[in-house]
Amino acid sequence: MNKPIITGDTITIPSDQDFLADVDMFIEGVLRGWNIDESVIADIAISVSELVNNAICHGNKLDVSKKVKVRINKENGAVIIRIGDQGHGFNPTEVANPVDDENLLKEVGRGIFIVKSLMDSVEYESVDNGSEVIIKKAI
Amino acid sequence: MKLSSREQDGVVILEPKGKIMGGPDASLLNDKLHDCLDTDKKKVVINLAGVEWMNSTGLGILISSFTTLRNNDGELKLANVTDKINSLLVITKLVHVFEAYDSVDDAVSSFKS
Repeated sequence: MNKPIITGDTITIPSDQDFLADVDMFIEGVLRGWNIDESVIADIAISVSELVNNAICHGNKLDVSKKVKVRINKENGAVIIRIGDQGHGFNPTEVANPVDDENLLKEVGRGIFIVKSLMDSVEYESVDNGSEVIIKKAI
Repeated sequence: MKLSSREQDGVVILEPKGKIMGGPDASLLNDKLHDCLDTDKKKVVINLAGVEWMNSTGLGILISSFTTLRNNDGELKLANVTDKINSLLVITKLVHVFEAYDSVDDAVSSFKS
């Protein structure tokens, strides 16, 4: 697999950051179809890009043979997006706080913090052969 | 992301356009900044008017640019920070790190004072 595959509510990409824009285009297209406010679309798009980046770099260790799967649904007045990789997951409590003084000028380490700030909920699950992050945003 | 640059009153204005989300974006701004340093141009404004949004990779690029210039006796300032980017700067407390101006002209003028 060397290109994105879209089936219904899901886009699957190889673990390559060149495909971040494809995921963004897919997600924003679905959200615009639901007539969601542009500012909320941006918050969701930013969050998805963070988690897809993490899935590619940390979950799948930049192994292009491994996939990242992003599924988007609307349920009970909220957008629900699942970002899955083929990695072993991580302990979110072990992520350093990026707003602590000693971390403020670090170039990395803000992704999860930003997602938690922009989304209503962030959950982590182990799934068959990998891990999944589930984000929800009321619309 | 596309990146253009120009000079105004001895200050380099870097103008990214699009979304800054990672991948190929990361090296563009970094390479351009090192070009500036190689030609002894140490006053830089990044005009964010054309950036729809950025994620933490984009913030990391701004921080890298800021510290690289500072470590070389230079200075980086921001102009035209959109509401969306400003909200991220506030959330991450980076609003206390960067000097931001409402226009490129104001940012350029600030180097004279």
